[in-house]
Amino acid sequence: MSMFDELDPKEFEDTARAVIETCAAATDTAARATLLAEAGLVGIIAPEAVGGLGLPIRFAVPIVSAAGAGLLAYPLIESILLARHLAPVAPTIASAIAAGESVASIAWNGCAEDGVVGGAPLGLDAAQVLVFLAGGGAALVLPGAGADIQPGAGLDVDAPDSSFTLTAAAPTALLDAEAVAALRADAALLRAGFVMGSAAQCLALAAEYAQERVQFGKPLSAYQVLRHRLSRDALAVESLRTGLTRALAEPAEGAAMAREAVWLAAAQIGPNVAESAIQVFGGMGFTWEVPLHRHLRQMHAQATYGAATAGLDALAADLLTDTNNEWYGDLANAG
Amino acid sequence: MNLQVSGQTPPAPDAGSPAARARTWLAENLTDRLRTDRAHDTPATLQERIAFEKSLHAAGFAGITWPTAYAGHGLGLREHLEINREIGRAPAPNSVNSIGKELAGPIIMAVGNDSQKERFLPAILKMQEIWCQGFSEPGAGSDLAALRTRAERTAEGWRINGQKIWTSGASKSHRCLLLARTGTADERHKGLVLFAVPITAPGIDVREITSIDGQRSFCEVFFNDVIVDEADMLGAPDEGWAAATRVLSIERASNRMYRSWRFQSELEHLVAACRTDARARAIMQPYARQLAQIRVEVEMLKGLVETLVERLIAGEEIGPNGSFPKLYWSEAHQRFARIGLEIVSQFPPGVEGPLHDLRARMQDIYLSSRAETIYAGTTEIQLDIIAKRILNLKRAA
Repeated sequence: MSMFDELDPKEFEDTARAVIETCAAATDTAARATLLAEAGLVGIIAPEAVGGLGLPIRFAVPIVSAAGAGLLAYPLIESILLARHLAPVAPTIASAIAAGESVASIAWNGCAEDGVVGGAPLGLDAAQVLVFLAGGGAALVLPGAGADIQPGAGLDVDAPDSSFTLTAAAPTALLDAEAVAALRADAALLRAGFVMGSAAQCLALAAEYAQERVQFGKPLSAYQVLRHRLSRDALAVESLRTGLTRALAEPAEGAAMAREAVWLAAAQIGPNVAESAIQVFGGMGFTWEVPLHRHLRQMHAQATYGAATAGLDALAADLLTDTNNEWYGDLANAG
Repeated sequence: MNLQVSGQTPPAPDAGSPAARARTWLAENLTDRLRTDRAHDTPATLQERIAFEKSLHAAGFAGITWPTAYAGHGLGLREHLEINREIGRAPAPNSVNSIGKELAGPIIMAVGNDSQKERFLPAILKMQEIWCQGFSEPGAGSDLAALRTRAERTAEGWRINGQKIWTSGASKSHRCLLLARTGTADERHKGLVLFAVPITAPGIDVREITSIDGQRSFCEVFFNDVIVDEADMLGAPDEGWAAATRVLSIERASNRMYRSWRFQSELEHLVAACRTDARARAIMQPYARQLAQIRVEVEMLKGLVETLVERLIAGEEIGPNGSFPKLYWSEAHQRFARIGLEIVSQFPPGVEGPLHDLRARMQDIYLSSRAETIYAGTTEIQLDIIAKRILNLKRAA
């Protein structure tokens, strides 16, 4: 029994859904920061010393899942990560982020040594941006001060990404390689949770529409070809849900593999389910008005931030050079 | 970049745990003769496989959750899962008596009377009685409720007339778990009754069917005025079927629980064997990303299986949710089998040793896997179940 057993992550999800709905009507990113922080959502896993709730990561997953479902225009994954992982090295900045007083983002793609980094959701509104360093660490920089901002190239329209050209940025905080590895491990789980929420919402919209839309005298949901399409999407979403449950339980046979797998699966399943929902909606699915494209866009953006394709290749390289089953140990040694 | 994810050797199970004992026992008792990852000129005989399964049970690794009163080991589903992980990691043959252990046994425990439990259950685990399943018929495959085999009550006992098909292992079995009807076919789910029929009863004719993998496991079973004792009826007429379907929904989630880990070990065998030879390694390389994708799917499958096991342990009804792992496993495993076949098909002629063994295994897995999306409810049936019972999609405006 842990001290958190009386708390139910589900309750945070319900809170998150309500707050995120309110956020949709908020005037700007700063206003959303305040709403999210007041509900304790940004500091959910940050230490109490910086004003956080100090809860385990499994409490943050339902929150970002609600953010994915609700098309939240806020860098919530990044803020949750920074409030936790900056706490030991830059407690003042971490507490400002947890309190919603400071908007922060992470430039997920590229490293500072390249001169340009990108993939920073809502970097335009961020007061602090974390950039990665070639050696495995990361530096927090101030946009504008030697980090010149440009619109990014990603697809997301709700939390559009930015790029930064780094000239003479002076870091306000540094994370070492170990801290960055821990941040990335948390990020994989949060991204998978975000995509699960977004994909589940696409499926729910498609299932609802299929039962309302009548063609040839029957709802679309009467046609087996569409019933089976939706069943396959349900299987995909269910596999994400149970995969996340398993990864969060840190299975003894390999917590790192469980985490990496659910993230890599999410990066594919998310866009697949959104594409499928667009197809079910027919012509309406292709309109800007129906929000399915926003889900599709934000899930592709997550796949880019998490470098899912490179991750799959890294897993492949690993798989082909290592064997962990003693029944094939003699073969592995022969190679 | 080395993620250090797939290469990490899983920690050895706690010494003395059921999993640790299973790992040690398998390493000592799963002989080359029985290993399914070796090409055998003469495959292990039925008697050898029965002897292996007998010793597997005696060592504590079959009948894990069955009550000790019926020769089980009285442990929980968690121990069952832990032991099955180890069975899956090993190249162990599939059970000759899986119908007895995973279908007939649980049904008898649910609906059988005390005398039937005593008569049938220990004999299943001790491999004295091998069971087959007489459900499907030529006119009742996916639509099982269309079955026509008749059971009439007579002064001598129940008189059975009809035909069953796809009865796995009937020609090697001693008893048949038979589903028949007391009324007429238009009654559908009503009036269905279960029997434990001795396969040697007069009037039973078993004919083997050769399947696409060259095996002769499937059979047709003909019943011509077969008399079955009242004592061999399982549950009351009309009651047996409802209990049986409830058991079946759990079984779909829990049977062959080792499948995800067996799947992973097949992938590991493929990679390890290809790495022994520069030519094979070069053939495998272009499939790297597809194999990584399969590795991801194995993990997702474990999530689907383990989450359902946790729900069963918590005493929850899982209802139609058993469709998820069955559907996911069967399709992912077929994709893997296809990739494996493509790789071994490019091996130069005359390869020997590990590559010869691998080729034989992958060919076998490829062909036999074609049945996986057909048996135990086809893919289309699973998709129907999800649409109807999980998504509750309506059929009319």
